[in-house]
Amino acid sequence: MIKDVIKAIDQIASDDPNRIAYEYLGKTNTYGDLKKRSDAYAAKIKELNLADKAPIMIWGGQTFEMVASFLGAVKAGHAYIPIASYSNSERLTMIQEVSQSPAVIAIDKLPIEMKDIKILEPEQVVDGDFEIDPANFVEGDDNFYIIFTSGTTGKPKGVQISHDNLLSFVNWEASDFKLPENPSFLAQAPYSFDLSVMSLYPALTAGGKLVVLPHEVTENIGQLFQTLPKLHFNVWVSTPSFAEMCFLDPTFDQKHHPELTHFLFCGEELSHKTAQMLKKKFPDSHIYNTYGPTETTVAVTQVEITDDILNKYDRLPIGVAKEDTKISIDTSKGEVENQGEVVISGPSVSKGYLNNPDKTKAAFYQNDADNYPSYRAGDLGFLDGDMLFYRGRIDFQVKFNGYRIELEEINFYLAKNPLVRYGVVAPKYNKDHKVQQLVAVVELASGVRRKYSDGELSKKLREDLSKDIMPYMLPQRFIFREEMPISQNGKVDIKQVIKEVNNA
Amino acid sequence: MDTKEAVLDILNELTGEDLSDQMDDNLFDSGLLDSMATVQMLLELQEKTGITAPVSEFNRDEWSTPNKIIEKVESLRNE
Repeated sequence: MIKDVIKAIDQIASDDPNRIAYEYLGKTNTYGDLKKRSDAYAAKIKELNLADKAPIMIWGGQTFEMVASFLGAVKAGHAYIPIASYSNSERLTMIQEVSQSPAVIAIDKLPIEMKDIKILEPEQVVDGDFEIDPANFVEGDDNFYIIFTSGTTGKPKGVQISHDNLLSFVNWEASDFKLPENPSFLAQAPYSFDLSVMSLYPALTAGGKLVVLPHEVTENIGQLFQTLPKLHFNVWVSTPSFAEMCFLDPTFDQKHHPELTHFLFCGEELSHKTAQMLKKKFPDSHIYNTYGPTETTVAVTQVEITDDILNKYDRLPIGVAKEDTKISIDTSKGEVENQGEVVISGPSVSKGYLNNPDKTKAAFYQNDADNYPSYRAGDLGFLDGDMLFYRGRIDFQVKFNGYRIELEEINFYLAKNPLVRYGVVAPKYNKDHKVQQLVAVVELASGVRRKYSDGELSKKLREDLSKDIMPYMLPQRFIFREEMPISQNGKVDIKQVIKEVNNA
Repeated sequence: MDTKEAVLDILNELTGEDLSDQMDDNLFDSGLLDSMATVQMLLELQEKTGITAPVSEFNRDEWSTPNKIIEKVESLRNE
């Protein structure tokens, strides 16, 4: 059990400064490098004289410099907001607006000019012998990181994760997954996605190593399959979708990756088919299914998928809650007996959304007698003993390729388009209950139909949407209808549209 | 089933569009194929046409239009 995330990492740097912490396509950095560089960032951030505890945005990819700046921020007493540099500039400005962040660290070059806030570039951060007083460190209930999810009506929500939230998560991963000593982790998820935290802090607090597979590489199949066989690590962390993609590589098996002993899945439903395929390729490995919303710090349940479990269930369980956390089911929100909304209570539950009391109040609560806050996950589930099972969403949020998407956010921008009268984005599911594509069902504004072909319209709408939403939220397919189904209250019947897309 | 029909079937399933009148349109530029969908396409092609997709030498430009995909599959079949 560790008591302080930052001190635990610094301790490894003092005990064993030459230990490798980070490997990025052949380039390595040690724990000594990490301490030196994060101290330099912390010293430089202190010089900026930012308001106490104000969060700092960090724009970049998956390089060592990125992680050093994260630790620099928290050592200087500021939470960081990781933003992947493949995002559009719109997202950057929107996050700045919501967070009121007074500074951005531009590990990669910023896509736009940002006025009225301080910009720090790596070249301005000069190494030296800085001693950062631990009294400055982020601790206890202070925010450690803030991850922005997609939000409804275009305003992203910043999930505030405190030091103690993170600590509860890190200690759980260190104890409940039977990981090897000084584990090396695959670090594939971009840092703006909290799945990355499943590798990052469990590795760094255990004297382990992060083996990075950058986003630019995974986007290009040829490069991915040239790079993957050369990477060596013990613990695989990814979405199930990403592992499925790797099944294409005939050398993705135990024989070629004998050191790979653990698989940790999160971010979307692990299908029986994928787990079984993986067991066949890596018969001696431990495969864990985990579950948790970003609001409760990465994951809060885990279960090892053994042969017994594979034989017993067609749709796999998502696990047992960690010891410090309680899961209950609010059956008033369900239609099937014993099923209802998953409610999570415990020390890793966030204090809420940054500068957004309304949305916080809608999803979080804490009764007077409770030690910890509770979060209404919006997920539909049931408990069998202490084992949790997932059955879908109670609202219009979906997981697509591991990304969490509020469909209403896409609808919002779709409806703003002058070509569109009504627009609804529906998830099309495959037989493993996974979203296979996003389908935009559109009723066009009058007169538009005659001017363009369907192909031209799809292209135009996709181009317009890409200015406002993240690339992973863009619908793959557009269907144009004469008329949308209308529900009893006179609005477009979204549930009916989703039903029709899936029965077609 | 001939290659053209097989490829168009798979693409129709993946993109939801009949691409027979867009044989030379770039599927990556139009956003119809992303890396996840490309993987799905290769898996389906392996299953339905018996080819082994050359994943480590995969070059997106050689697979960017329906016509190019058909050409690629046929050359792999004849190897």
